[in-house]
Amino acid sequence: MKLDLSEPLRYLGVRGEPDSGLYAELSAVADRLTQAVTPRYVWRVFHVKHTFDGEGLAGTGLTLTGEMARKMLADCSQAVLLACTLGAGFETLLRAEQARSMARAAMLDVCGSAWVEVGCDQAEEEISARFPGMYRTDRFSPGYGDLPLELQRDICALLEAQRRLGVQVTDSLLMNPTKSVTAVIGLSDQPQPARIRGCGYCNFRDDCQYRKEGKTCGS
Amino acid sequence: MDLDFLDDGIVILDGAMGTVLQQRGLPPGGQPELLNFTRPDLLRSVYREYIDAGSNIIYANTFGASAPKLAGTGKTVDEVISAAVAVAKEAIAGRPVKVSLDMGPLGELLEPLGTLSFERAYELFKEQAVAAEKAGADLVSIETMTDLYEAKAALLAVKENTNLPVFVTMSFERNGRTFTGCTIPSMARTLEGLGADAIGLNCSLGPDLLAPLLKELCENTRLPVIAKPNAGLPDPATGAYGMGPEEFVRALVPCLDVGVTIFGGCCGTSPEYIRALTKALEGKLLGHSGDVIGPAGQRLSRQSVDCLPNDRSGGLPTACLPTAQMPRPRTYHSVGFLCSAMTPCALDGVRVIGERVNPTGKKRFQQALLENDLDYILDVAVQQEDAGADILDVNVGFPGVDEVAMLPRVVKKIQSAVSLPLQLDSSNPDALEAGLRVYNGKAAVNSVNGERAVLDRILPIVKKYGASVVGLCLDEKGIPQTAEGRVAIARRILDAALSYGIPAEDVWIDCLTLTVSAQQEQARETLKAVRMVREELGLQVVLGVSNISFGLPNRPLVTQNFLIQAMAAGLTLPIINPNQREMMDAVAAFKVLSGEDAGSRDYIARFADAAPAAKAAPTKAGASLTLEDAIIRGLEGDAGRLAKEALQTQDELSLVEGRLIPALDKVGEDYEAGRAFLPQLLSAAQAAQAVFEVIKASVAQKGGAPVKKGKFAIATVKGDIHDIGKNIVRTVMENYGYEAVDLGRDVPPEVIVDTVRDQNIRLVGLSALMTTTLPAMEETIRQLKALPNPPAVWVGGAVVTPEYAREMGADYYARDARQSVEIARKVFEA
Repeated sequence: MKLDLSEPLRYLGVRGEPDSGLYAELSAVADRLTQAVTPRYVWRVFHVKHTFDGEGLAGTGLTLTGEMARKMLADCSQAVLLACTLGAGFETLLRAEQARSMARAAMLDVCGSAWVEVGCDQAEEEISARFPGMYRTDRFSPGYGDLPLELQRDICALLEAQRRLGVQVTDSLLMNPTKSVTAVIGLSDQPQPARIRGCGYCNFRDDCQYRKEGKTCGS
Repeated sequence: MDLDFLDDGIVILDGAMGTVLQQRGLPPGGQPELLNFTRPDLLRSVYREYIDAGSNIIYANTFGASAPKLAGTGKTVDEVISAAVAVAKEAIAGRPVKVSLDMGPLGELLEPLGTLSFERAYELFKEQAVAAEKAGADLVSIETMTDLYEAKAALLAVKENTNLPVFVTMSFERNGRTFTGCTIPSMARTLEGLGADAIGLNCSLGPDLLAPLLKELCENTRLPVIAKPNAGLPDPATGAYGMGPEEFVRALVPCLDVGVTIFGGCCGTSPEYIRALTKALEGKLLGHSGDVIGPAGQRLSRQSVDCLPNDRSGGLPTACLPTAQMPRPRTYHSVGFLCSAMTPCALDGVRVIGERVNPTGKKRFQQALLENDLDYILDVAVQQEDAGADILDVNVGFPGVDEVAMLPRVVKKIQSAVSLPLQLDSSNPDALEAGLRVYNGKAAVNSVNGERAVLDRILPIVKKYGASVVGLCLDEKGIPQTAEGRVAIARRILDAALSYGIPAEDVWIDCLTLTVSAQQEQARETLKAVRMVREELGLQVVLGVSNISFGLPNRPLVTQNFLIQAMAAGLTLPIINPNQREMMDAVAAFKVLSGEDAGSRDYIARFADAAPAAKAAPTKAGASLTLEDAIIRGLEGDAGRLAKEALQTQDELSLVEGRLIPALDKVGEDYEAGRAFLPQLLSAAQAAQAVFEVIKASVAQKGGAPVKKGKFAIATVKGDIHDIGKNIVRTVMENYGYEAVDLGRDVPPEVIVDTVRDQNIRLVGLSALMTTTLPAMEETIRQLKALPNPPAVWVGGAVVTPEYAREMGADYYARDARQSVEIARKVFEA
């Protein structure tokens, strides 16, 4: 699988056209990564109870508090919790690469960040196939907006991420292995706007009231 | 407790506890181990159902009964384990069923992935094992491990501190690896070597997907094999496990045919599954009307021997099916073997042992050892991996180096980034034991010889850690001058190893290479000895090849010829410098001729890359290249070569100040202006590092003082595990000539403060990536500023801003590596 290099380049601070040497080397690093490491993920679906305190996930005792969750899940009857990781294999690759070449290690690091997002995309495709006729919201993660970072631990516990993915949440709420992501995705029977990814991705862009007023629905 | 029962029959374990309790209405959440106090009645009723269903061994409710997981519950490890074992024993109520301590992962990741040390993990497991034996558990089952290193710590803790038998099961993914990349052969042969009583797989997958992995496991161990699969995979929409009891059993029972003899269930299974399993295995095994053969060979009816008391097992139950009736078509592959967790290395052909991690005759390496420069040693290891070595010899013996402390440190450092198996090279038994202990895999020991005292000192250590061992064909009388004399010593070494329980495939013989320019006739004797050891003893043969050509011109030619002849004679483990292309080419060609390289595939791939000769061009064009250009363009090789040339005419210091640093500054300016980016900045730093290597080598040769412009400490703060940003900053600063004391990641404030005080460090860099770790950064600064002579502190990292930096009391904020260099200049060159 070919990794789209636009995000890695952005992470590296490259503006404009990258020079061909840099692009070729980054591309080689990305190819080696995608051959060596496959993102793994687990997800589970919960019914959403819209309550005064926030968006409750039925049967779990967990509530997603704050404006972010309220807005994202407003039209949703169900929500998916997702965890995705590149695993320990990536960390080993990165340590070895740091011993070889710090320049390539920096490239590998940013490619890893992009690759774990591709893993999330793959999970979303699976979810989409499992729930035909349902519309997905953009995925959002603990730490986005006012969605508490503390949820990282609860989401990983509900998904048994340690046992099923080898992902641990540390006392300081970091995930280890470091290239790991948790996310929430709402499922609705109505089309959902691209609140986070932006208007360029949105189904409603042509006749959106917000856009006409020069605003967005995400902020 | 005797474990003969494991050879004789089928053993039925229990199934899941957690999912069963949830089905019975116990709400999820909470620490399951507390149920030993709050709901022993519920636990007992589930145990009784498992026993009624046929379980011979039940697992106490102790999966998470480790100190880290019990923290905050108000209960100690000892209290939980003694309560849990007591509850399980009550459920048995006199029936011949045994209780196992259930020992799961600690929940914290071990080094190098996490920050929990191997030694600390060992202590935590030890606490549980000791409590279990005291509480009267009959055995210990270590389960659901995904890190071989953690499994090793647990196994050693049980074996060294109790007399209990121990089972170890690990969890693998469909691709045949655990989350940490451990392979089945690595797991099997490492744990068997370390003395597990039975090994197997549990959790992660259903029996259908586990079956091929169980087959592979059976091919790699002589031990009884355990299968404890999940009831299929959980449905993401409902969380329910997909496989019913009948389907579960239908997929699991065929595993008997590949050699599995211990069966149970993990997540999603229940007493119903175990009942179905017991029933299916009975029918399968008996193969006739329901009779079994008793211990004395008598025929018994199945009903009367549900659990035969077995004297040899000290009363341990078995399903009592005798050997004669057992389908045990195990195809174990008996082969020399070495591995790291991630890389199995079967010795079924020529395997190259890289010799470069060794200070002998290498000034630069000696200096690295004396200065504790483990990064340099790792570089040497990585280069050999890239050059195609299969195994790395690791030798850190040098006057002034505490080998007992250094060998384990170097082993940990190398295995953090290099996945090749290691051969630990020392004559110091304490150093060998310290190194083998922290090694993650099955290592080799280099070496013993025919001297009885040496054999008796080293072989018990080799046996304990399940290592392979190199035996040198010499003894107290020296090196025999004839092949026959050397083979006689080899035989003696083999016999001694066998007497210690080390299998023949783990004994490697070094027939000894002598310098041909000094003792010409000995080359032939060595080759003859190689042939005899292979043909007469069938053992692996090692030779340190390079020694042959000492004192002759064009050494590589002679060495290569000797290598080829030795491989033809039967050498399987040449110890060479894999960075010498001639040697690796010879090995590649040999593997084609011997048929090991099927279809010449590796050979073709090796030389396919070499085809475009244009690749060599940059060095040629380098004729007009300046040192400054080489640094700016990140051409490491050229920068090193040009630095060597430059040192003919200028001294080290002026080279650094007058040429290297201005070149780096040029790249730094481009970086700031957005004309160059991080990879280019780092490539230039790497080229500068090549220059520094040349300078260090030159200084080491002359015995002068190293070029160093000021020492800084750098660390990622407590609670933070992201370190690439910090490493980038360190690399760039080091290549401006500043000396780094890198304290690593997740570093407590006290460690930073102590280091700064003890080494009188004037500049400290702190990195934090998450808002959650900013308080640790602030606390570290507070403690540093409370020192009588506080150092300057600079901070950086994704979440740090100039404002935060000021509020926290830092002296400087750096956006990136480049700004960090500017700060160092201000502090050291003001």
